[in-house]
Amino acid sequence: MEDDDRCSSNNPGGIEQEEEDEDGTVLRFLDSLDSYLTLLDALSSTLRQGWFELASARHSMGSSCISSVLLDQKVRSAATTFQVGKSIDGSPSESHPSFAISKWASSRDGKCSFGEMEVSHVQKTSKNSELRHRGSSNFYDTTEEHDLRINASSTIGDGDVQKERSKSLSVFGTLVSPKLRAAQVSFETALDAIVEIANIRSSMLCAFTQLQQEMKEKGLG
Amino acid sequence: MAGRAQIPTKNSALIAMIADEDTVTGFLLAGVGNVDLRRKTNYLIVDSKTTVKAIEDAFKEFTSREDIAVVLISQYIASMIRFLVDSYNKPVPAILEIPSKDHPYDPAHDSVLSRVRYLFSAESVASGRR
Repeated sequence: MEDDDRCSSNNPGGIEQEEEDEDGTVLRFLDSLDSYLTLLDALSSTLRQGWFELASARHSMGSSCISSVLLDQKVRSAATTFQVGKSIDGSPSESHPSFAISKWASSRDGKCSFGEMEVSHVQKTSKNSELRHRGSSNFYDTTEEHDLRINASSTIGDGDVQKERSKSLSVFGTLVSPKLRAAQVSFETALDAIVEIANIRSSMLCAFTQLQQEMKEKGLG
Repeated sequence: MAGRAQIPTKNSALIAMIADEDTVTGFLLAGVGNVDLRRKTNYLIVDSKTTVKAIEDAFKEFTSREDIAVVLISQYIASMIRFLVDSYNKPVPAILEIPSKDHPYDPAHDSVLSRVRYLFSAESVASGRR
C-alpha cells in the first residue's frame, strides 16, 4: 500500500491511467445497462407480437389444436441450442461467459446458415441504431420488416432448416395456420434478442464486479 | 463474481424455460424443446395449479444441470421465488427474467438490476463525495 502511494505520488501518469481505466469501466457498465434495458424493451415487443400471432392461430385452428396437452413427451433433442464461450474485457482475470445461438442445427454439425444470418442481422441493427428510444419496438422489426422476414424464412432457408421448422409445427397438425408460422418466426426473433441480452448481462455484471473492486480498494464500498 | 467463478464452455447447451403456456409453446415452436431418455424436459409450464415448491424445484434443477446455458423465467414467476433467484450468483446458466402476457416487464423487480442499483443509491454517492 505504501509502495503504491509512493509510486502514485512519483508517477502522476500512473494516476491518470488508473482514472482512465476506471472511467472506461464506468462507461462500459453504463453502456451495458442501457443496452440491457433497450433489448428488454425490444424483447417485450417481439414477444407481444408472438403471443398475438399464437392467439390468432388458436382462433383459426381451435383452442384444442394449440395447447400444452399436445406437447408430447416423445424423446427429442433441441434443434436450437446455445454455445457458451469465454469473453475477456480488459484484464485477462476478468473473463465472463459469452453466448451464441445455433438455430435449427441439423445433425449437430454446426451448420446454421439461417441462424447465422439472423444473428448478424441483429448485430448490425444494434450497431447502427444510434438513437434508441425505449418503449418502442423500432430496435427490431417494423410490421413490414416482420412480414418480409416471414417470407424470407420460408424461401431463403435451406431444406434442413425447413424440415426442422416443419417438425416443430407438426406437433399441432399437418396443416397449420399461417399465423402459427408467423408466431414461430416471432419467437425465433425473440431468441436472437435473448442471446444479445445474455451477452449484455454478462458484460454488465463483469463491469459491475470491477467497479465494486475498485470502490473497495478506495475504501468506498 | 464473473472473474472468480470458473466459466464452463459448452457446445449445444439448452435453454430452460419456466413460464406460462403461451410463452413455452412459442419457444418450443422455435425449436428449443428437449426431452431426454428419462423423459425429463427443459421446461416447466406454470399455471394456476402449479405450486411454489414445484417452481422452486424446477429452478434448482435447471440451475444445477450441466447442459443448460440460459434459464428463461417469467418475471412474475421469478417474484414467487425471489429469494432463490436473487441469491443465485453463478455466471452459467444465466438467469433472464422475461415479461409474460399478463405481466409486463418491470425493471424495478429485475434481480440483476436490483444488484447493481446500489451503485446509484444515495449511500454510495454520499460515500464517494466524502
